[in-house]
Amino acid sequence: MTNVNNSKKSKREQILSNGRIIIVIMAVIVASITLRLWYLQIVKGEYYSQKSQDNRLRNRRTRALRGIVTDRNGMILADNSLGFNLQIIPENIDKNSIAKLATLIAKYIEDLDSEMIVKLYKKSSAYTRHRPLTLKKNLTPDELARIEARKYELPGVIIETEPLREYPYDAICSHIIGYLGFINNRELQLEAYNSYARDDLVGRTGIEARFQSRLRGQDGLRQVVVNARGRELETFIVAPAVSGDNLQLTIDINLQEFAFQKMGEQVGSLVAIDPNNGEILALVSTPSFSNNLFSTRIRNADWQRINSDPLHPLQNRPIQGCYPPGSTIKPLIAAVALTDQIINEESKFFCKGSLSLGRTNFRCWNRYGHGESDLFKSLRESCDVYYYNLATRLSIDRIAAFGHKFGLGVKSGIELPGERSGLMPSSSWKLKNVHDQWYTGDSLSVCIGQGYLTSTPLQIAAMYTVFANGGTYFKPHIIKGEAITADHNNPVETLAKKSGGTKIDISNRHMQAIRKALWQVVNNKRGTAYKSRITVKKWEMAGKTGTAQVVKQTLETLKKVEDTPWRFRDHAWFVAFAPFTNPSIVVATLVEHGGHGSSIAAPITQQVIEFHLNKVGNLNK
Amino acid sequence: MTLFRHNKHRPTRIGTSREDGFSPETRSHLSEKSLERNRLDGFDYLTFILTFILVGLGILTIYSATYNPEASNWLTGCCRKQLIWVMIATGTGVALFWIHYNIFYQAAYPLYGLTILLLLAVEVAGSKHMGATRWLSFGGLNVQPSEFAKLSVILALARYLSDRRLPPPYNLRELLTPAFIIAMPAIFILKQPDLGTAMLIILISGVTILIAGVTRGTIITLGLSALSAALVGWQFLHSYQKQRILTFLDPEKDPLGSGYHIAQSKIAIGAGKLFGKGFLKGTQNSLHFLPEQHTDFIFAAYAEQWGFLGVLALLALYFTFLFRALNIAMEARDSFGSYLATGIAAIFFWQVTINIGMVSGLMPVVGIPLPLFSYGGTSMLTSMILISILLNIHYRRKG
Repeated sequence: MTNVNNSKKSKREQILSNGRIIIVIMAVIVASITLRLWYLQIVKGEYYSQKSQDNRLRNRRTRALRGIVTDRNGMILADNSLGFNLQIIPENIDKNSIAKLATLIAKYIEDLDSEMIVKLYKKSSAYTRHRPLTLKKNLTPDELARIEARKYELPGVIIETEPLREYPYDAICSHIIGYLGFINNRELQLEAYNSYARDDLVGRTGIEARFQSRLRGQDGLRQVVVNARGRELETFIVAPAVSGDNLQLTIDINLQEFAFQKMGEQVGSLVAIDPNNGEILALVSTPSFSNNLFSTRIRNADWQRINSDPLHPLQNRPIQGCYPPGSTIKPLIAAVALTDQIINEESKFFCKGSLSLGRTNFRCWNRYGHGESDLFKSLRESCDVYYYNLATRLSIDRIAAFGHKFGLGVKSGIELPGERSGLMPSSSWKLKNVHDQWYTGDSLSVCIGQGYLTSTPLQIAAMYTVFANGGTYFKPHIIKGEAITADHNNPVETLAKKSGGTKIDISNRHMQAIRKALWQVVNNKRGTAYKSRITVKKWEMAGKTGTAQVVKQTLETLKKVEDTPWRFRDHAWFVAFAPFTNPSIVVATLVEHGGHGSSIAAPITQQVIEFHLNKVGNLNK
Repeated sequence: MTLFRHNKHRPTRIGTSREDGFSPETRSHLSEKSLERNRLDGFDYLTFILTFILVGLGILTIYSATYNPEASNWLTGCCRKQLIWVMIATGTGVALFWIHYNIFYQAAYPLYGLTILLLLAVEVAGSKHMGATRWLSFGGLNVQPSEFAKLSVILALARYLSDRRLPPPYNLRELLTPAFIIAMPAIFILKQPDLGTAMLIILISGVTILIAGVTRGTIITLGLSALSAALVGWQFLHSYQKQRILTFLDPEKDPLGSGYHIAQSKIAIGAGKLFGKGFLKGTQNSLHFLPEQHTDFIFAAYAEQWGFLGVLALLALYFTFLFRALNIAMEARDSFGSYLATGIAAIFFWQVTINIGMVSGLMPVVGIPLPLFSYGGTSMLTSMILISILLNIHYRRKG
């Protein structure tokens, strides 16, 4: 280009020499471009090839339908319906038009805020821009129509349909079924949730939680070819979605509903079990809550209201509430004493209204005393002194061992999460936990169902199945037969307890004596639950009342129930089975702060039993 | 600097009695021999064939880039428009071929003046498209004066340099007038704003001035001042232009924003590997991941379908073409023809280099089409006129 000698050359000479130099320079530049392309296509060819695959192929999940939960008669308790979600795809919305779009959306959907939408849009990173963002779940038909009608002016806005969980019986069995919640970020990090993704629903309580992995099914995988705008052009189904297993419960939803209504405003629980196999027919906990509120993102106000309720509606009382069993424990104590031959059916103790032990006076609920009491009278009239006398003669460890056989102090194993075991105390337990030896006084309290002894309503009901069926303990369970896959007739796995129950070591003579006494409780004029008897002969009921002290009461503070503040009133128990000769149902009712068992708990129990027997009777006809 | 000396050292045919400028002798040559050789024995078949191979490949790639399997007629849309433009452009080129390129010598300054006027018109009444005012509407026809500016500038420059009595190499002071000729349209175009074309005009003119000869000191001074001008000029860039340059420097920063184009075009090119995905099988292209796949980014669509081998072939075609063009420059009958041919070669060279450099991520994204290849009427027309002039210069070389 430049003249080396800096002497002037002719234009021709310049053109010829400089032209060659320019050709060489051009060749060098073209070669370097070639080198660049060689690098892109040959050296990194495989890498870009993969990127181009990733570009156009997206994996999309097809949500599996969650398994359906039915009651014993096939009534649907948890169902799937369709929800409509409002979504935007950031990728398809221009940066400059998002503000306008957001205002439009906010105009059509009242509870959406345009600023929030813009913020959400801006939050989507470069790698998530193709993913739809959900603005609102579960649109009302009105909102759906408004959006659909104006779709032409809402580019990038889509309506997604999503299976939605629905509970037709709502609060009636919300403690059993439970509810779903969105998986949270912490769970997503856990090994156990490997196969889950954001926005997945998982069971939070009840059956939904306990059988999450079975109900969930298996999400399908679709591979879609998308173009640059995220539009799906072709779909390959890699794996179809497999619906979750359906579950059948032992619950009789009609009975459950009836019991729920009878419990009404009362706080407490009601458990109904079939004594012939341990199947739970009803498991009512009051107050209840609407689990449908949880099936979409629960509103904060609803959550606050449910969570701050002093009556704890979320608690599943039949399996999580631990109460002193009160007098309902007495048949068990009698059974121990009879089996150990400390007493026989005719043995009598004198009740003068209290029993003194050392310096302590243990009162009978009847401060005037029951006089001479035998086994029948002690149960019929629920004489405490009789059991104080047994307590002085029985070892607590013997009672505990016997109690365990009846399911006290141990978890029953019901297929629901969060079950509590209650407490069946023993001398070793006391030594370990209270750091003190066992005193006879402790035994006295235990034998009338107070003191350290606590149990759940389910345990009490399960215990009475033994008296109902004449000596066999069935583990209570709530899953009927087998889980059934989506095609409804292909059983996968048997969930029910196949053990035919455990025979308990009580002689038939003793068992019949206790059963007779329990019959008298209801059907004898002096029985504590005489008012709630069933008069139809073949349906005759047997049972036991109970009153669980909440606050220790002395003679001086003993007042009428009505005068006691509600939260200091006693819990009322009533457990019954019927028909007496061939029982088909055991019902245990606990009304918190319900005063005496006979006055509130017994009528509810009686009506529930009658309802059940009516239904069974009609079915058998 | 005499005729004698010249003939002694370079006994070439370009040695004429008055090599400076366009001589009366040339004019007499024109009148005597003009179309006596019209049996086309001096016609540059190679350049002619290369041109139509490139145009043909271009149309094929435009076809694949805008391919729509549902369309009933393949000859629709862009492909058809491009074919029409090729015909118009070829017609114009053929018509121009028969006129001695001397006419450009005479028309150089008027054309230059017209271009400045058109650029002024754009400034005043241009139509806005994607944030830039580059187009003038004549009825249904959109014309981009900056396309023609390239030709006008090299014409004016070639005339000025060939007219000049002062022997090269030139120093900085002697280059003041050429600098003014270059700067005037460049500033107008920069204001549109079209940084790419403005830079292109400067680069093209640079090659013409280089072949004319400049002193070493000038090159060093110009290089340094270009560097400082770039630093100062940064302040006057539009934000999208700055963004493009920043993205070029760090494309990963914003892969779906400004860097998206570069990233997607690199994927398209790379995914072609050695043999390419095959005709119509480029997914980057057919699924619209490639931006502007039939205009500025057409090379990526080509590279995806034909692979490195196809790319090598295409670059070889372009380089052969450039080599021919510079040879024509060196063989021209007068210095005007030489400068003009060099300018034309430079236009093709820089467009090809910048376009491929930008789609392969070597340079920032500027809107410069791949000549003869990209979809676009104005570009095709300009290219054909330029090639016609090249053939013209070759045909009328001193034989």
